[in-house]
Amino acid sequence: MTTGTHRIAILEDMTIYNALAQKANFMEALQECQELEIDLSHVAEIDTAGFQLLLLTKREAAQQNKKARIVAHSPAVREVLDFFNMAAGFGDPLVIPAREQA
Amino acid sequence: MKTIFLVDDSATILLSISNILAKAGYAVEKAGNAEEGMKKFQAGVKVDLLITDLNMPGMNGIQFIREVRKLPSYKFMPILFLTTESQQEKRTEAKAAGASGWIVKPATADQLLNTIKLVLR
Amino acid sequence: MDELTSVFVTESREQLAAMEEALLQLETSPGDADLINTVFRPAHTIKGGAGVIECNFIVSFTHVVENALDKLRNGEISVSSDLVAVLLGCGDHIGNLLSVLEAGAPEPDADLKAEGDSLLSRLQRDWLDEPAKSGAGAEDSRPPVIKVDQVHASGGGEVETDSWHISLRFGQNVLRNGMDPLSFLRYLATLGQIVNIETLPDAMPDAEQMDPESCYLGFEIKFKSDVDKAAIEGVFDFVRDECSLHILPPHSKLTDYVTLLQALPENIMRLGEILVKIGALTPSELDEGLQAQQSSLASDGEADTLSPPPPHLGEILVEQRVVQPELVEAAVIKQKQVSDKKAAEARLIRIQADKLDRLIDLVGELVIAGASANLLASRSGQGELTEATSLLSRLVEQIRDSALQLRMVQIGETFNRFQRVVRDVSKELGKEIELAISGADTELDKSVVEKIGDPLMHLVRNAMDHGIEPGEVRAANGKNPRGRLELNAYHDSGSIVIEVADDGGGLNREKILKKAVDKGLVQAGQYLSDQEIANLIFEPGFSTADQVSNLSGRGVGMDVVKRNIQSLRGRVEVSSVEGQGTRFAIRLPLTLAIIDGFLVGAGPAAYVVPLDMVVECLELQAHAAGTGDRNYLNLRGEVLPFIRLRDLFEIPGEPPKRENVVVIKCAGQKAGIVVDTLLGEFQTVIKPLGNLFKHLRGIGGSTILGSGDVALILDVQALVKYSAQHEEQETGYALPLRAGT
Repeated sequence: MTTGTHRIAILEDMTIYNALAQKANFMEALQECQELEIDLSHVAEIDTAGFQLLLLTKREAAQQNKKARIVAHSPAVREVLDFFNMAAGFGDPLVIPAREQA
Repeated sequence: MKTIFLVDDSATILLSISNILAKAGYAVEKAGNAEEGMKKFQAGVKVDLLITDLNMPGMNGIQFIREVRKLPSYKFMPILFLTTESQQEKRTEAKAAGASGWIVKPATADQLLNTIKLVLR
Repeated sequence: MDELTSVFVTESREQLAAMEEALLQLETSPGDADLINTVFRPAHTIKGGAGVIECNFIVSFTHVVENALDKLRNGEISVSSDLVAVLLGCGDHIGNLLSVLEAGAPEPDADLKAEGDSLLSRLQRDWLDEPAKSGAGAEDSRPPVIKVDQVHASGGGEVETDSWHISLRFGQNVLRNGMDPLSFLRYLATLGQIVNIETLPDAMPDAEQMDPESCYLGFEIKFKSDVDKAAIEGVFDFVRDECSLHILPPHSKLTDYVTLLQALPENIMRLGEILVKIGALTPSELDEGLQAQQSSLASDGEADTLSPPPPHLGEILVEQRVVQPELVEAAVIKQKQVSDKKAAEARLIRIQADKLDRLIDLVGELVIAGASANLLASRSGQGELTEATSLLSRLVEQIRDSALQLRMVQIGETFNRFQRVVRDVSKELGKEIELAISGADTELDKSVVEKIGDPLMHLVRNAMDHGIEPGEVRAANGKNPRGRLELNAYHDSGSIVIEVADDGGGLNREKILKKAVDKGLVQAGQYLSDQEIANLIFEPGFSTADQVSNLSGRGVGMDVVKRNIQSLRGRVEVSSVEGQGTRFAIRLPLTLAIIDGFLVGAGPAAYVVPLDMVVECLELQAHAAGTGDRNYLNLRGEVLPFIRLRDLFEIPGEPPKRENVVVIKCAGQKAGIVVDTLLGEFQTVIKPLGNLFKHLRGIGGSTILGSGDVALILDVQALVKYSAQHEEQETGYALPLRAGT
């Protein structure tokens, strides 16, 4: 059954080189829960492919009446979301872990 | 520091471009032909951007780009090729082989550096 | 000259040589596409390099040549011997222009300029102005021309915004081609300010079909900047082929926006809202625009022809163009066939010659210092020290060999230059002559190679001019009317031998002799061996040609050739069979810098004999040696002429009881040198003799011994020759000693 809240943390770069594997990760994780929490605080690098995956995950969740929330952003992720003007669109609070702030 | 890999059979071009790049703070790798370039790629050289000539003896630039693209670690690396105003038709061919963009020779240092900035991730 | 320019000049000269070689081959196989490419590439590279160093006179000349070659490559013009001749001329001209650049002149002088102009006008007139063969020219394969229409009023007022509006839909392959839309947009941000950006993922399919390596994104961007439209377009140059890009300048007409909305793939209402959201349009502008669009649609439905199509105002629109994969594949396979050999040749490091010379100098000093250490060590009598220094000197020896090896180049390149010479000269003379090259991979010192060009050139021209007979004469004599010239090189006991041979009429013994008598070089009636007669052609002022042609009769005689070769410590020999041909053999030392020497003593001084010429050493036994004026000895039944160093250099004092003979061999001749003592092998750095001593016979140079003393290096070739001549003159009869074994 697909119940409860799951949380996944992405530890690698969200670049095109990892896009194929990460898409599978996101889709599987979404499959197994009602609410997906995504921790991006360890993502050192993100490019258009990674950004696009976030869009996909958000959209899939909405289509399945589920939720996908980004619960932590690394500076790189936040910078890209800001650039694309999507911070508001995603509606997730931009939480930056303390250790990243320095 | 970003590393740029230059492949050209012209020593003049290699020297002039690498001078510009080094001055702009890039690390530069060089090869005088595509075969030598392939060897370095196969050995896993750390490269952020490849700039290659198209018309080289031995393996030509287009085949070279195609081969580099086949290597998983360089599948999505930006690749620029050197071309001239008169070689418009080559651009399509090189792009079809997987190139990202081109630099028109002769280029000023600014043109060169701007183009690099444009495609460098 | 700065480093870049000097690299350019060196490289371009190599390129010219490659071009010339290919052009000459092209004459015999005109359809060979690889060859045509090989001709094209140098012109292209030179032009590119000249552009880099901003040498405009080379760029502009080479540009036209490149154009012609490009047409050749595209099959628009075909190879003819006229074209080859002009292109060869162009290659020469580029060479001259390179010299102008090298000399630091700002531009070529009037003569050279005129020469260049006349070449170009020939190219232009005969090959470039011809109309292209068919419509399938280069134009067709170019990407579509970018349409940049003038903005013109098409009804409706200007919109309020003072920003550019950029509408972008990336092609799916951008990521696969190593591009990141993010990089482009970040770059755009450096040209101005991205006031607002809206991401459109509408084109992204459902998760199952979505390929994460494809790009599905589109963007609507409000962009504020002072740059012109071309600059904004420029940012997207690389993705233009596969993405759709619309750029509306500030204060565009409302109708332009309407047209844009229609052109974009997304729903008009949704797009309209986005434009309002990012501030491209005000809500009222959107309403007005949409109304206008409705009515325009309505009229379109009634009569298409009445209303002009929506103008593509200030926008660029390039359709996606995909090259047919088969075409590309075919081209690639073809080019792959260019031999791998060329790639192997290119695996070279370019080093400035003076760096190498400096290294050789240092190695030379090292050799001397090593010899000195060796000497001291052996004097000290400490076994361990001697061992250590001898190991050291073995290594130094290897370093020396490797260092000298660095300077070794193949003679092939020098030989290849003669392809062109033979072609040109044979045309000029109206003789059909083919050139056969062998031993092109024979190596010799770069400094020797540089100096051998002129003497070789003279011998080659001479052979074609005087050696090879006209075709009719050859045919009449039952020979192949096509003459044959051979260039050959090989190594022979520490020397390189370069041969120039022809299958012509051979030297005319009578004619030479008569001429020599006329010139007073020999006396009438004097007996001369064939070899001596042949050698007369090397005498100053000697020329047997009945008429002086403009080729070999340039006032430079064979004597100059001989002198040039001698100055390289070499010698030249001629052998000839009447009616069958003449063969010149140039024998040169492999290197000019360092030799392995054999140290001998005579009187108080030490002398060096090049080790590779030493055959053996033996004690001079009084009974074997001729007495008094007979300077020959019996070497196991062989007659060996010898000379005494003491006699030769008039060294005073009594020779020791036991003298030694060093048997040397040079060019097939053996001779003995009688010395006091044998001092062993010694690495010798040759120091040339000063001008004052240039004419000393029998001495080739000097060297410094480990002890700091100077030793003279014997010119073995001269000594062997001297001793042989000496002996021949002394003994006019059959040598009795030959009967031995």
